[in-house]
Amino acid sequence: MSRRAPLADVLAALDDRGLPTAEIYAKRGRARVLELTPRGTTSSVFREEGWAVRASDDRRSFMASATGRPDPRGPGGAWPEADGEALELPGPETRRGVASPGAWREPADLDAPLVGEREGVHLLASLASELERELPGARLLGATLADGGSEVEIVNSLGVGVEHRNRAAHLRAEAAILGPSAEAVVEVVVREARRIDPRALARRLADRLMVAREGRAPERDRAVVLLAPVVVARLIEGLLPLLMGPRGFELAARLEDRQGRFASTALTVRDDGRFPGGAFAAPADGEGVPTGEVTLIEEGRYRQPLLSWRELDRHDAGERSGPGARPGAERSTGCARRPSWRDLPRRAPGHLHVVPDPEVSVRALLGRMARGYYLIDADGPGGFDFEAGRFSLPVVGFAVEGGVAASPIAGVRLTGGLGTLLRGVEAVGRDLLFQPAAGGLVGSPTLLVSGLEIQPR
Amino acid sequence: MAFQMLDTSAVARALSQVAERQDDLVDAFFERTEEAELPAEGDGPGFRLRREEGFAVRLVRGPEAWLAVRDGLEAGQLADALRQVARALPAAAYPEPRLELAPWGDPPAAEELAEVPLAISRAIRAHHVAFPLRLAVRRHHRELQVIGPTLVPGPERETFYSLAAELPWGRWGMLTPDLDDLGALAEEAAEALVERFRCRQAPPPAARSTPVVLGPHAAAVFLHEAVAHALEADTLGLTGRPESVLELPLGPPSLHVLDDPGSAPVPVRRATDDEGSSVLRRWLIRDGRVEQPLADRRWSRHSEGLSPGAGRRASRHEPPGPRSTHLELVPGEASDDDLLAGAEGGLWVAEVDRGRLDPLSGRFVLEAPSARRIRSGGRADPVGRLRIEGRVAELVDRVAAIGGQARSTGAGWCAKGGRRLAVWATVPSLLLDPVEVGP
Repeated sequence: MSRRAPLADVLAALDDRGLPTAEIYAKRGRARVLELTPRGTTSSVFREEGWAVRASDDRRSFMASATGRPDPRGPGGAWPEADGEALELPGPETRRGVASPGAWREPADLDAPLVGEREGVHLLASLASELERELPGARLLGATLADGGSEVEIVNSLGVGVEHRNRAAHLRAEAAILGPSAEAVVEVVVREARRIDPRALARRLADRLMVAREGRAPERDRAVVLLAPVVVARLIEGLLPLLMGPRGFELAARLEDRQGRFASTALTVRDDGRFPGGAFAAPADGEGVPTGEVTLIEEGRYRQPLLSWRELDRHDAGERSGPGARPGAERSTGCARRPSWRDLPRRAPGHLHVVPDPEVSVRALLGRMARGYYLIDADGPGGFDFEAGRFSLPVVGFAVEGGVAASPIAGVRLTGGLGTLLRGVEAVGRDLLFQPAAGGLVGSPTLLVSGLEIQPR
Repeated sequence: MAFQMLDTSAVARALSQVAERQDDLVDAFFERTEEAELPAEGDGPGFRLRREEGFAVRLVRGPEAWLAVRDGLEAGQLADALRQVARALPAAAYPEPRLELAPWGDPPAAEELAEVPLAISRAIRAHHVAFPLRLAVRRHHRELQVIGPTLVPGPERETFYSLAAELPWGRWGMLTPDLDDLGALAEEAAEALVERFRCRQAPPPAARSTPVVLGPHAAAVFLHEAVAHALEADTLGLTGRPESVLELPLGPPSLHVLDDPGSAPVPVRRATDDEGSSVLRRWLIRDGRVEQPLADRRWSRHSEGLSPGAGRRASRHEPPGPRSTHLELVPGEASDDDLLAGAEGGLWVAEVDRGRLDPLSGRFVLEAPSARRIRSGGRADPVGRLRIEGRVAELVDRVAAIGGQARSTGAGWCAKGGRRLAVWATVPSLLLDPVEVGP
């Protein structure tokens, strides 16, 4: 879709207005969205086209965005006045420390057609019927399937020039059962809607509804827990202050134990903006900085938080460095996400995940538990207190005896020390699953963890 | 007005080709929006302007609906969108309508918005306190035109302002329809922010059953969550037929709650909803009984008990849904002193951060950042973050007294189903006695 010439015209127009530092972001996309609700289905087709400018002189700046194609006269034919402070943009000289990710190979499935209307409605109807089959009496309250693709172009006055394509599908389904009532939500993000398996999702919903309806809260108990990927994803989301941004150094230093251990050697956490097959995989971020892989925790050792090029520059300069700062060893990668052309780029996870162990199945992990709890979902927002070093997350699941899920549990919290959680990881499964979180994707396989406590709510 | 040059007749003719069946619902929704933002100090870029225009074409047939959405207004786009929603190609196509809009005006100036944080800072200083505050101010402007095959209502426009503050101990927000009385606005904001500062270390209350007086802003959020959301046709439709709640007792006989977009503050006042239906002075609850739930065209066309006029859409990207716009609680006769005297030992809650309704169980939670204990008929020592919980029907039934002085206020941003809409209210304080309060 290259529109470099019009974008260059916009840069030139801004330069003429005394705004030599400028970036143009243009996006064009299409999407099909299918929604199933109690009153019927809605099938929507979207054609999106918009652009945004960030521009600055040496004292003030503005951001302006508009629908349509980039216009050198400004959005709606006029530019706003600059205000506030000057703007920093990435360029070759400011990308020092950015990991070199190598050449980008565009995934072949970017060219697959969007899900068809009948195909999408059939997928949602299958989800509804499979749910009813798995758990009679259960019904979908609503389900939304979105499948879309887009083309992005970014140029800036410092020499950045990037074009790439994206493709992602998202399904969110909410189900309920009455008497006594229980609700459950599942979300899945994949590159293409055709990869969604309605039967597997229906099973997840049915398990979750059954457990929420029939589960009982056990007495307070400290036991080994098996955490399903969605539960770990919620825990990682709560731990994001530790894993993203310069304050992570300081928080990590606080969580080390007396022997200087931060986490279990079984635990490795990475972010990868080019994760193979990942729904958000792209060669560059929302500022045109190349994406890549960064290791945040390596076999239990805290390496660094996810840092943008701007944060890395400041960190190197000694700004905001906490007691855990280790200037010099860190790397930055493109991590500024921009959900639409309306949004400013913000640091967000690309595919932030616990690295799976391909040799370990969930069944094998379950078999290692003489007694404990298999927690299959979070049941509400968690609390993460970095001052006190503790967390609490409402969960549902099963009590496990002799390696077998024995009885459902609900109305409980998983709680403990943040350090205990990180150091208590005994084993990691192979079933890596990503969930949308904090504007990006967070993923994990099933984890076996000791040292935590189950408490009635 | 943006749409004065739009050839509405030609668009209506084009839509008529898609409405093949008598009960087909077809419309086109054109919108132009402008948002100007002065971010918090140090949060670049220093001034932000977003300008959008586009449209959506919709066909509803029985339980199915089709929507085609476009960014921008260019020749050929409407015909393309019509083809996408049409179930059969028309035998003879009308000429493509011209999609011409009036030119945009000059962008808003940052100076207008810059006065707001300065005025609020001055008002906070007048309370003899100082604390870190990051304040963003936005001006929201929207113009829209709905066109049906036989109905072309007048265009609508809305302008309002939103404030969003980040404090070390939480976030705070406010909606206001204008900046005409900047001094009063700044004082209202300062009072809310200073109260949060003064209550920041106060312990939360112990769980107990107690009388609670809700100030006008808190009462607005309470009514929006517990009455308006509970009486939206799509919420009611999750558990049965929406019209089955008609005449159901909800609250004491002294409770009268309306939704009336036509009496909202002038800059956000509406004559038609986002589907082009005339708005109603809709009695949600009259004499303590449900009279008219909130409904849009899609819900009301198959039910004689439901009236359209409450269809709202956050943008062209979303299909319309039944939502409230401007809630009114008919004032009672109690003064603030009467309400406080009737709640001895209880709590005064001035502001509520958020409310949550579980439509299946009817369970309802209001979360407030702070409160004041009521002692000797006055507001006394502070209480930290608290929750008010219960079932909707029980909570509404606990309305024991209603203040006599209604106040116009922004009830806040409603984000049901991820669709963000500004909601307004004109309500007095009210006394709930007793309700379950806890940390």
